[in-house]
Amino acid sequence: MIPFLILLLAAGPAAPPATDTAAPPPVQRLAAPAGVKAFDTPNDQGKSITLRWSAGDALAQAWLVERTGPEGPKVISTNAAGDIGYLDEDVKDRILYAYRIAAVAGADTVWSGPTPAVSSSPQVFNTARMNILIAMVVFFMLVVYYIETAKKGKNLFVRRIAGLDAVEEAVGRATEMGKPIIYVPGLGSVADLATIASLNILGEVAKKVAQYDSALLVPNRDPIVYTVAREMVKESYAKAGRPDAFKQDSVFFVTDQQFAFAAAVDGLMVREKPATNFFLGMFWAESLILAETGAQTGAIQIAGTDQVFQLPFFITACDYTLIGEELYAASAYLSREPLLLGSLKAQDYGKLLILVVVVVGSVLLLLSKVPAFSVFSHIAGFFNIN
Amino acid sequence: MKRNVPLAICLGFGIVMMVQFFVPHPISVGFYDLTTKWVRIVSAFALVLGVGSFLMYHTEKLRRRRTGWLYSIVALVAAAVSTVVGLAWGVKQTSPLQNYIFTPLLVPLNASMFAILAFYMASAAYRAFRARTKESALLLIAAFIVMLGMVPLGAAIWHRLPDLAEWILSVPNMAAKRAITFGVALGGIATALKVILGIERGWLGGGKQ
Amino acid sequence: MKFFQYLLKIDRRIIYIVMGLLVTLPLVKPLGLGVTSGPRAARLFQAVDSIPAGKTLLISVDFDPASMPELYPMLTAVMRHAFAKNLKVLLCGLWPTGMGLAIKAATDIPPEYGKKYGEDVVYLGYKPGVDAVILGMGENIKNVYPYDYSGRSLDSLPMMRDVQRLRDIPMIVALSAGTPGYSDWLAYAQSRYGMKVGTGLTAVSAADAYPFLQSGQLTGLLAGMKGAAEYEVLVQKSNYSKAYMPAVAAMDSQSLAHVVIMILVIIGNIAYFVTRKRRS
Repeated sequence: MIPFLILLLAAGPAAPPATDTAAPPPVQRLAAPAGVKAFDTPNDQGKSITLRWSAGDALAQAWLVERTGPEGPKVISTNAAGDIGYLDEDVKDRILYAYRIAAVAGADTVWSGPTPAVSSSPQVFNTARMNILIAMVVFFMLVVYYIETAKKGKNLFVRRIAGLDAVEEAVGRATEMGKPIIYVPGLGSVADLATIASLNILGEVAKKVAQYDSALLVPNRDPIVYTVAREMVKESYAKAGRPDAFKQDSVFFVTDQQFAFAAAVDGLMVREKPATNFFLGMFWAESLILAETGAQTGAIQIAGTDQVFQLPFFITACDYTLIGEELYAASAYLSREPLLLGSLKAQDYGKLLILVVVVVGSVLLLLSKVPAFSVFSHIAGFFNIN
Repeated sequence: MKRNVPLAICLGFGIVMMVQFFVPHPISVGFYDLTTKWVRIVSAFALVLGVGSFLMYHTEKLRRRRTGWLYSIVALVAAAVSTVVGLAWGVKQTSPLQNYIFTPLLVPLNASMFAILAFYMASAAYRAFRARTKESALLLIAAFIVMLGMVPLGAAIWHRLPDLAEWILSVPNMAAKRAITFGVALGGIATALKVILGIERGWLGGGKQ
Repeated sequence: MKFFQYLLKIDRRIIYIVMGLLVTLPLVKPLGLGVTSGPRAARLFQAVDSIPAGKTLLISVDFDPASMPELYPMLTAVMRHAFAKNLKVLLCGLWPTGMGLAIKAATDIPPEYGKKYGEDVVYLGYKPGVDAVILGMGENIKNVYPYDYSGRSLDSLPMMRDVQRLRDIPMIVALSAGTPGYSDWLAYAQSRYGMKVGTGLTAVSAADAYPFLQSGQLTGLLAGMKGAAEYEVLVQKSNYSKAYMPAVAAMDSQSLAHVVIMILVIIGNIAYFVTRKRRS
């Protein structure tokens, strides 16, 4: 209050004498923060209380947050003028706390009344993820429905994928030329779906390689992928009735360093002059380094990745490129197993559903700009992901 | 048994991790933390297998004097030296690993490999960028605008060129990218579901049972 | 005809030599084409500039030596900007191979502004486990990093007294060459702790981040060498630094490299059309 009084006193002598008929300017007083709310932070693992308040007036230069709990009152935060919220993560679950907020201007401090006592607790369901749950259930139902349809023997049409049709030809070419095939299952880990998709294709390719009696080289960047890839190739040779043809050192670990791996595979391509290269899986900046070296050695190249920004490099330097989801479709396409084909169909309808949602959502959001349809503006919130 | 146990573990963990995503309770979060730690531990052990494979591959190549066996000597010596230096002196700023291996060797070697991209982009673009069809001509024009717009020369030619390049990148390019991303996301979910339900068993080693 | 057929199949070694020469020449004798800053770099600059003096800026060094030419100039420019504004700089990293680069920056840049290690800059080092590291830092940095990269206890470093957890830090600049990187900081540090996240990326992966910039999740983006050069120019224009600008110097090379590629593509197309016409 003192600076406020000083301000008034200082204003005194400068004020015109009493003879002036004009009314003195209204004195703005610092108001207490209004609408202070304290509540258990939703959708969290507890130990957190959220505070919100409205600014009241524009005089406040800062806000003080005071918490009263079992240990008594304590100022826990000083917020800047525009920061009208606080997340208190220094609380214990199921203990009651009350809060007060103060507006501060100079040395003047005005406190709000205390909020009702509130406690924190963990939640068992994240309601903000309801949208994801709904989308997931719908998509799962589609997948299960089409798998069941496929099981009943219904013929499911799958469009031609040139890159996968070329696998047979590429393996045959290697046999004719007496040169090896290099298969790089990407630089991702086994947790990446593109790697899993690539390993599935590797199984099919290895079977064909065993049947044609060609040589296969599989360099790996991830030790776990290496282990799985070795088992897959071994199994495929056994399935093709050629377990004796499998060579232990045909599948090998190189290094987990991105560019060292690229250098090693480049070296391998330059020395071995493979007839065919497969680059399927996760690739980053090394995609063009691998593909261009392969092109220079004259190999037929089949690439595929779900890394959208590496696709242009593969498309430029390779003969065939599997774009995005085609990589995931490959094992179904090559094996023609009805169960796998069924899920492909579900993906198509999933995409159709997304398209409908995008179009309808966009139209509704545009309509929400018209005051009569402002209710539609809430639909945007449903698509937020937390 | 060899197939069924891993499939059951995969199904169990797949469902539990899906449920975990929707449950913010500390038990659920703690379980997630625990599993990510397991993944790291399993990865560390797998590295032993990787190193084993590395040693076996290169010693075998050396023994049989296969093409490029001299490079295998370089690989084996580099691995041995790095391991010994790292174990003996650690990885601190002043350690020989930093002063003699990381800074003067690894830094320029990695940067050189990345720099090769500039050369490869030139040769790949020259070989593949032909206006054979109307679509490829359109692609070529867009590429030219973006290439010029991304460097100071573009702004020197026409001051609005960077804006045009920016528009191509953030509107038509982004629209196509998002469309592919939708497909990739759905394909990813379907693949994950197939793995969890045991429909896709390739990762087990290709066997049916 | 023979000439055009030759143009259709220029030996790749000639292409490499021409490219090599034209990339190297401007480094020896700069062309001085100049760099104008774009809106994305300006947004990041503004965000860092508006952090009150004395606060801490977190910089995550999520790249390795391979992407050093593009991302290291970003690191030095952002650090110079921060020190000129009297901000404290906390460095960390999600890539083990980025350690040497972060140490180099933490050693080279602070003395230019009379700043001291421990008081104005701290490098936490590398810890495996991306989400666990970021979420842990959100609760208490010292739980995740009890010691800095060189084994000094964080309790012994004066700067760390005011920086207990991510909420004490208004902004992070994640310099990422891939994953883990800025997307992890967005997913955990921003969505959970409300931190502002700015990023610097290699040119090849920058387009990946555009959607986050459009949605406002990212506070500014430096895209490749050009982004680094733009930030360097902004820092110098504001009189925050007079240091050599490596990215600006390299932009002349990049300009010429783009021109070489375009000329090659034009030559290839002319030869293609002439030979096709004659054949038909």
